[in-house]
Amino acid sequence: MQATILSDDVGTVEATAHDGQLLIDPADLPSALGWELKPEGLCQGNVCVPVRDAAALFGDDKLDVAAVAAALGRPAIVDAAAGIAAVALGAERRQQALDGLRAPSFTLPDLDGVPHQLQEWRGNKKLLVAFASW
Amino acid sequence: MLAVALDDSVDDVRPWVEGVSFPVLIDPEHALTELYAISNVPTVIWIDEADRIVRPNGVAFGTDTFKEFTGVEAAPHKESVRQWVREGRLPIPASEARTAVGDLSADEIAARLHFRIATTARRQGRDEVAGRHFQRAAELAPYDWTIRRAALPLTGGDPFGQEFFDMYEEWQQAGSPYHGLAATGSS
Repeated sequence: MQATILSDDVGTVEATAHDGQLLIDPADLPSALGWELKPEGLCQGNVCVPVRDAAALFGDDKLDVAAVAAALGRPAIVDAAAGIAAVALGAERRQQALDGLRAPSFTLPDLDGVPHQLQEWRGNKKLLVAFASW
Repeated sequence: MLAVALDDSVDDVRPWVEGVSFPVLIDPEHALTELYAISNVPTVIWIDEADRIVRPNGVAFGTDTFKEFTGVEAAPHKESVRQWVREGRLPIPASEARTAVGDLSADEIAARLHFRIATTARRQGRDEVAGRHFQRAAELAPYDWTIRRAALPLTGGDPFGQEFFDMYEEWQQAGSPYHGLAATGSS
């Protein structure tokens, strides 16, 4: 099936559902989750998270999305039957705001679909207002 | 002012921001509710030139744009903002800012994840899958408006109807929980 993996980005990859596990090809991990499994561990850019037992990430030569998220220390909810998984953005970034009082970066589109990053307004004081039509 | 709509579609947002001159972004995945531990709207966060948070999550406004549907007077908060902009006056000490926003619980994080799955399924036209996850999200975070109230228009409910009033009463009885500084007359 085509599965949708939600994390910092949205990845759509081929996957199989087996026993509640959502399994993907290791080669698809970067497009699914933005991380790559290397001998050093799970890597994203210059950052690598060592993985104690890489074999435990696999089910049948495929990567178990939930196991990868857990290895990254990220809470995740996987609906294998529906082929949709959501992985949390990470406590470190939130702690940066709560304890560190440093505004975590984000990239969001305006109403015309043009993406903007928080950094765009660096050098200005900002009132960030979260609102909604509801 | 940088406004971010925790809404699913730009069509829902446009009517509320007609004619405004400040940037308006949309966050259908509710990334900010996780990154900034936001549990209700409107939430205002003061961020300085170096992207430091000088006043964390609070129910307050920089303008009266939203006064109509929140009932919160902008004036006292506006005055604090003015003092910050003109004199660099900080609204609260950093020590207070650091403890003002309680962290999200594991259930509140899980609720956000279920909500994201729900909106994704809904966009894929899979209402049954969506419904299950909206339901689970609401169970995990019953006092989180960005979960329960946001789900109302996405599940055929009315965010301004009886369901909302019932939710509001439940929330009040639970002590009106909110991740951040409560609405005050001035800061």
